[in-house]
Amino acid sequence: MSDLEAKVGGSTEELVIEASEALRTRKASRIERIGDHLRNEWQLYVMLIPTVVWLLVFLYKPMYGLQIAFKDYSIFRGVAASPWVGLEHFQTLFGNDQFLRALKNTVIISFYGLIFGFPMPILLALMFNEILAQTFKKTAQTIVYLPHFVSSVIIAGIVITAFSPSAGIVNTVMGWFGIDPIYFLTKPEWFRPIFVGTGIWQEAGFQSIVYLAAIAGVSPTLYESAVVDGASRWQMMWKITLPSIMPTIIIMLIIRIGNMLEVSFEMIILLYQPATYSTADVVNTFIYRQGIQGGQYDLAAAAGLFNAVVAFVLVMTANTISKRYSRTSLW
Amino acid sequence: MTNMNLYSRGDKLFVIINMVLIALFTLSTLYPFIYIASLSMSTGFEARAGNVILTPVGFTLEAYKQVLSEPLFWSSYANTFIYTIGGTLMSLVFIIPGAYALSRPQLFGRRFWNLMVAFTMWFNAGLIPFFLNMRDLGLLDSYFGIIIGFAVNGFNIILLRNFFEGIPQSFEEAARMDGANEFQVLWKVFVPLSKPAIATVALFCIVSRWNGFFWAMVLLQDEDKIPLQVYLRKVIAELSDDEEFATSLLTAAYSFETVSAAIIVCSIIPILLIYPFLQKYFSKGILLGGVKE
Amino acid sequence: MSGVKLDSIVKAYGAVQVVHGVDLEVQEKEFVVLVGPSGCGKSTTLRMIAGLEEISDGTLTIDGRVMNRVAPKDRDVAMVFQNYALYPHLNVAENMAFGLRIRKESKEHIESSVKEVSGILGLDKYLERRPADLSGGQRQRVAMGRAIVRRPKVFLFDEPLSNLDAKLRTQMRAEIKRLHNRLGVTSIYVTHDQVEAMTLADRIVVMNAGRIEQIGTPMELFLNPVNSFVAGFLGAPPMNQVKAVIADGDTSPVAKFGTQQIALPSLPGLQNAVGREVIVGVRPEYAEVVTEAAPGSVSCELELVETLGSEALLHMNLDGEPFVIRTETLGNMAKLNSVNGFTAKPELIKVFDANTGMALSGQTRVA
Repeated sequence: MSDLEAKVGGSTEELVIEASEALRTRKASRIERIGDHLRNEWQLYVMLIPTVVWLLVFLYKPMYGLQIAFKDYSIFRGVAASPWVGLEHFQTLFGNDQFLRALKNTVIISFYGLIFGFPMPILLALMFNEILAQTFKKTAQTIVYLPHFVSSVIIAGIVITAFSPSAGIVNTVMGWFGIDPIYFLTKPEWFRPIFVGTGIWQEAGFQSIVYLAAIAGVSPTLYESAVVDGASRWQMMWKITLPSIMPTIIIMLIIRIGNMLEVSFEMIILLYQPATYSTADVVNTFIYRQGIQGGQYDLAAAAGLFNAVVAFVLVMTANTISKRYSRTSLW
Repeated sequence: MTNMNLYSRGDKLFVIINMVLIALFTLSTLYPFIYIASLSMSTGFEARAGNVILTPVGFTLEAYKQVLSEPLFWSSYANTFIYTIGGTLMSLVFIIPGAYALSRPQLFGRRFWNLMVAFTMWFNAGLIPFFLNMRDLGLLDSYFGIIIGFAVNGFNIILLRNFFEGIPQSFEEAARMDGANEFQVLWKVFVPLSKPAIATVALFCIVSRWNGFFWAMVLLQDEDKIPLQVYLRKVIAELSDDEEFATSLLTAAYSFETVSAAIIVCSIIPILLIYPFLQKYFSKGILLGGVKE
Repeated sequence: MSGVKLDSIVKAYGAVQVVHGVDLEVQEKEFVVLVGPSGCGKSTTLRMIAGLEEISDGTLTIDGRVMNRVAPKDRDVAMVFQNYALYPHLNVAENMAFGLRIRKESKEHIESSVKEVSGILGLDKYLERRPADLSGGQRQRVAMGRAIVRRPKVFLFDEPLSNLDAKLRTQMRAEIKRLHNRLGVTSIYVTHDQVEAMTLADRIVVMNAGRIEQIGTPMELFLNPVNSFVAGFLGAPPMNQVKAVIADGDTSPVAKFGTQQIALPSLPGLQNAVGREVIVGVRPEYAEVVTEAAPGSVSCELELVETLGSEALLHMNLDGEPFVIRTETLGNMAKLNSVNGFTAKPELIKVFDANTGMALSGQTRVA
């Protein structure tokens, strides 16, 4: 203000100009700073807009559409105009044997996947680590990673062919031992072993990469000192390598549990048939049949919402635990 | 520690058993592919009789002739190329600038925008609302719908954003002082510096596009627009459901098994061709995208 | 004139101020070095001049023009970064040409500029190489070349030598100085290394905790630090600082510590100061060793001798406090181990107030 007072001789207008000049060269106001920022960085926002708009249109708008889970949805009225029905669909669902069965199957199949599928990549990584012949190791790795990149339709095609009752290799081999052919894919009791086994066959190799990376981070001096102490390879594998990658194992376990409900339903759609629904039908395949094939959009959306909320809680819990455990967040 | 001579007897035994076990697992991974390849080149009769074990029996390319003479095979193959190339380019057009903007500390509301991306990885509305939304947008049965509808995914954005964040700030600052604007910084500095990460994202997109099946099946009714995977699924489902048709092929030079095996082989080949590139980048990609300090 | 003027420049992150009103005028063609411990705000100040950090308050003028809200690219300044920030996908020539190409200069102009500058820096033979194939010193040169080709009004250097090993650093230091003498472009240079500051600067700006402690030529700062911080920061090993109390001596004031005392210069600041708590500063170079107690000498105990070749560092124990003396080895080696005290010329002794750290003694000059 002292500058201003010193200029009493000038007109008011001049004073105002002087004042704003002074302000401009001194401290920029908040609005001016935002203006400067936009003038210099507007291109950043241009880059961001397509992604944000895409997210809004393709992922957030469906979240708005989730309200049909509480509505009597009619295609003609649209999402907003359809009348509210409260929790009616959820009541229907929890009185629906098929939905409850799908829920049960989801948990059981996930659980099998966890018990049999989780240790496999760890074991593979430990074993790969013990292989000294580099060419052999590289070749073997190249092959076991491959199924991950093959589409589920092809995998399902292979499974269907291999387990076919007349021509399939599995029944052929069983025939050598005098066992009668079994039409595996129509037998409910065979669905889960085949599905979980296929999953392990397809993904175990690829999932071992994470553990191999963790093993690569173990300091070689640990092994050197163990050798000096007279440890065998077997002992080093269990006493050094495994404990060293334990943090990674635990984080992967937490992620896995967080994604419990993410059963690869695409594969189930390809492999199951009405005869095996009793053990094969999971929540997402139930939603697919009821909603997309059956047109009961509101009921299916309610099942989807239930699924998504449980999955969200699981994932957030897993992330929180993992953060606390390792001080690294998963995202 | 690579000198076997230094090993004790027990260690040598351990190493050998380990190698045998790995070899067995590797062969069990490889075998189904060999089996399918052999099946596709065997006669329908031998295939039906279950005589194909390892190598083709009664070698014939009849199944391939059948597959390649089907117009729908060719149109679906072409469609898959359209979806893969178009979809991957579309993804990069969205993801590269988006990830760059999200990686810049000066971006206003950066935490909010990043949360907006991450949230889609934790929670999604599910199949039905997504489907209804695509229908409301008029994107059913449309090439454009398939290409745009799956252009962005949170994992790929975050993967690339993490990579951009790892590039020292001084590269951007140096370029800015040299007079570059944000587009120039991205295009002339960050993109060339991030080739491996961009290649990783592109390969992820290519693989998921090539293999994409479920949404193509749901969103596309018009047979002229379906991709290879949906066509393959159709063939397998139709042939295996139609036991009568399958049996009628019993004595022919090809059978349901050999025909579907032949389509499988045709559809795997492009993945095998890019597999060396995939292998170079994907392990880095997993580690880059997953866990962040 | 392409001078740079900082008028009460402030940097604040939210409520936290890290630079508290810096005033500095850099003359045209001057080489000014900002030096200080890490976190003192020197890099932040430089980045504000570059436009990489927003100026929270105060006025920045370059070449007479207020630059507070001007984008970095429009300030006509060039910067050499600590990690060089050379684009790994471009070769040396392309790296140097990058800024000119962005500014859409003509091809001929770009070519001739790159050629000229690479000639000056001795990079002619490496123009086709990528940064990864260059040695540390060569990369450093490319980083400077990239700044020079743009012919900016001001060069900014952000610890450009800290990634080099000791030998190269000495070599590059001399090269930067020669370059400045040749090109005569106003330069502002940030470092935490006081040797770099002493050797390169026309004027040194010593910063601490977001404030300027002192501005002056290297010798001014070395001989007449305004406070104990500057005294301790410049010079290696640093100035010895001993707590003492002023007392009356026979002819001039003395500083008493423990049972001993040392004669101080008769200066206005020390008149009528008996009983005042002070810090007595003696540079290791200005203490002369004695092997036998003599009038005016201070006795202390020898703990360790470090011989550096032409010189030796004597680590003494002065009443429980460390005290370092630097002395010539030539003709002295035999008696180094029996040193038990030192004398110092009163006019070379600095006195600081124990509470404020401000210098009490007057100007020292060397012929």
